[in-house]
Amino acid sequence: MTEALTIDAAERALMAVTLRELAEALDGPELAQALEAFGFADLLTEAPRDAVSALFTTLGRAGSMSTSLQDVLLQPLAEHLPTPRTECNVLLPGIGADVVGATDGEALTVRGLVIGARTAKVFLAPVTIQGELTWIGIEGSSGISTRRVEGLDPALAMIEVTGVDVAADVVVAGEPAVAAWTAVATAGRLALGYQILGAVGQMIDLAVDHARSRVQFGRPIGSFQAVRNRLADAHIAREGAAAALAGAWDADDAVLAGLLAKSLAGRAARIAATHCQQVLAGIGFTAEHPFHRFLARALVLDSVLGSAAELPAVIGARLISAGTIPRLVDL
Amino acid sequence: MDVREFRAGVREWIDEVGESLVPPIEDQSVDAQLNHQRRVQRLLFDAGWMRWGWPARVGGLGGSPILRAVLGEELTSRALVHTTSWSMHEVLGPAVAEFGRPDLVEGIFPRLLSGKEFWCQGFSEPDAGSDLGSMRTTARPHRDGWVINGEKLWTSWAHHATRCVVLARTGGPGSRGVSAFLVDMDTPGVTASPLETMAGVDEFCSTSFVDVEVPAQRLLGELDAGWRVAQFILSCERGPIFWQRGAWLAHHLGLLLETPLDGWSVSALGEAYQLLWAFRTTSKSTQDRIAAGDLPGPEASVDKIMIAAAEQAVFDVARELLRGDIETGDSARSRSWRREWAYSRAATIYGGTSEIQKDIVASRLLGLPRSP
Repeated sequence: MTEALTIDAAERALMAVTLRELAEALDGPELAQALEAFGFADLLTEAPRDAVSALFTTLGRAGSMSTSLQDVLLQPLAEHLPTPRTECNVLLPGIGADVVGATDGEALTVRGLVIGARTAKVFLAPVTIQGELTWIGIEGSSGISTRRVEGLDPALAMIEVTGVDVAADVVVAGEPAVAAWTAVATAGRLALGYQILGAVGQMIDLAVDHARSRVQFGRPIGSFQAVRNRLADAHIAREGAAAALAGAWDADDAVLAGLLAKSLAGRAARIAATHCQQVLAGIGFTAEHPFHRFLARALVLDSVLGSAAELPAVIGARLISAGTIPRLVDL
Repeated sequence: MDVREFRAGVREWIDEVGESLVPPIEDQSVDAQLNHQRRVQRLLFDAGWMRWGWPARVGGLGGSPILRAVLGEELTSRALVHTTSWSMHEVLGPAVAEFGRPDLVEGIFPRLLSGKEFWCQGFSEPDAGSDLGSMRTTARPHRDGWVINGEKLWTSWAHHATRCVVLARTGGPGSRGVSAFLVDMDTPGVTASPLETMAGVDEFCSTSFVDVEVPAQRLLGELDAGWRVAQFILSCERGPIFWQRGAWLAHHLGLLLETPLDGWSVSALGEAYQLLWAFRTTSKSTQDRIAAGDLPGPEASVDKIMIAAAEQAVFDVARELLRGDIETGDSARSRSWRREWAYSRAATIYGGTSEIQKDIVASRLLGLPRSP
């Protein structure tokens, strides 16, 4: 029994190392191919915690991207998929929106984002049809237009999908649709939370290196308390997000824990972006220095699936409806 | 004793004992608070719960220190004891158990656990706050023991305490020349003068030591190695104390769910809860490390900064949501909230200010160069 567990833990550790190595060495389609060959989608079932934390933290650190977010989002939809997994992309609600689209029976309007899109013919999207959450499948030919998003973070290569009178098939409706959306959103929040965490770590490292080497007034700027306090604040926010992400896998209310982890990751992104940029000063503001890539990545991902500004209200509302302050994890 | 079994046992016991564990609402004086805690500790000691998580050599029943964190959590999450006074035995107990002479510890420890005695901590001085190493209180050899002279400040509960862990200079300047002593508060020359806090509670004191004679066996640890004792004590604060304090904060956040909540207040509530969750998940790994036998190091400064931020967020949102109660109310409930809100102002100050903690994070965790 003990031996089996030990081997299992060792295997999981090895898997995490491999995922990290792949995400550090490769990017884009090459990385996607390597992850597919490594069986990332299967690892999400066997060891989701290790697979998601290792891969997405590294993606955030490296500033790279792959189609693996699609694997994460599609996994809770597995039993509802109209076509094979590799032929689908999940459309997430546009920034600030709760769902991808809505209709009261007339024309269906959609606006959503695909992060880590793969070449696939079907978009799966959570929409409301006469107030009921429903998953729909949209084919490329059904009256939508797609745009590669340049925006704040061009390297993220998001795709925006819009349409005003979209022909769609219902994939799943009713209670199962709601449950699937909750599970997709929670899985997405954790994955994006880890990716944000990686980018935050990179921002802190860049600023710390700078604070140690940059000399002004005859001493490294990292010896000035104003600078030290900013970087300490960023570190503390990062640690809180990391702990919340780790704790989310054991929490008895996974949805609430996912909201908390994403919100705290976004909060850390905002704090680190502000403080690390200030410490890096002029050089960190240049296009030449890599800092801005991590700032953009972290802040754009903060905006997806609920930002640090939006989620506290969602969390507060859940506490009010529960009428209690959950402990979520115990010693 | 397994943690789950322990928690279930404590819960069952609390339900059985019932009403007599609930503190008096009308009398919010320190005397009433401490008398209540003595009663609760006595009951817990007799039932055995108070002894779990402490080693047998000090009169405990053994088991992981996590059991102490669980006991504290079950009590403070129901507000059966006050989080601050419940911290007393946890602040100093572990250090005295670790560094005290066995014959000394054996005799007094059960008195601490059963609530017969409260202990206090004589660290800060008028000119040594964050810069503890500059303390001036001295301990000089005298007959077979020591004689202590000096003044300590912010000694919580000193006027109710039976004993005090005093840091005093026995050698050269700086932190290396400091030793720790366990001093009886009824020794001639010890005077504790209460200072009223802005919370309206005379919780801490200015405590003077004039030619106070201390027997040799009261030295804790080695001579001139008091800094190690002090570090150990500060580390211990990050253990079960923080865990039960977090539960106390969650309890207070829960009380706010009974107020009308809408608009911005929903978000403010969520924000306070998420800070508490960031603390709780961070602290959980600290508790696990302590249980595995590690002494919390510089990384526990993160826990300290987080709980202080969460505490102030919880009581700030309380002041908003209670809509005037804290500012103008005069019911027992208002007074209790006012006191807790006021006390939370000190969360970023006591036990090492947030600035000192951030300095530790910057140097020890981020590797930034120290200020010249």
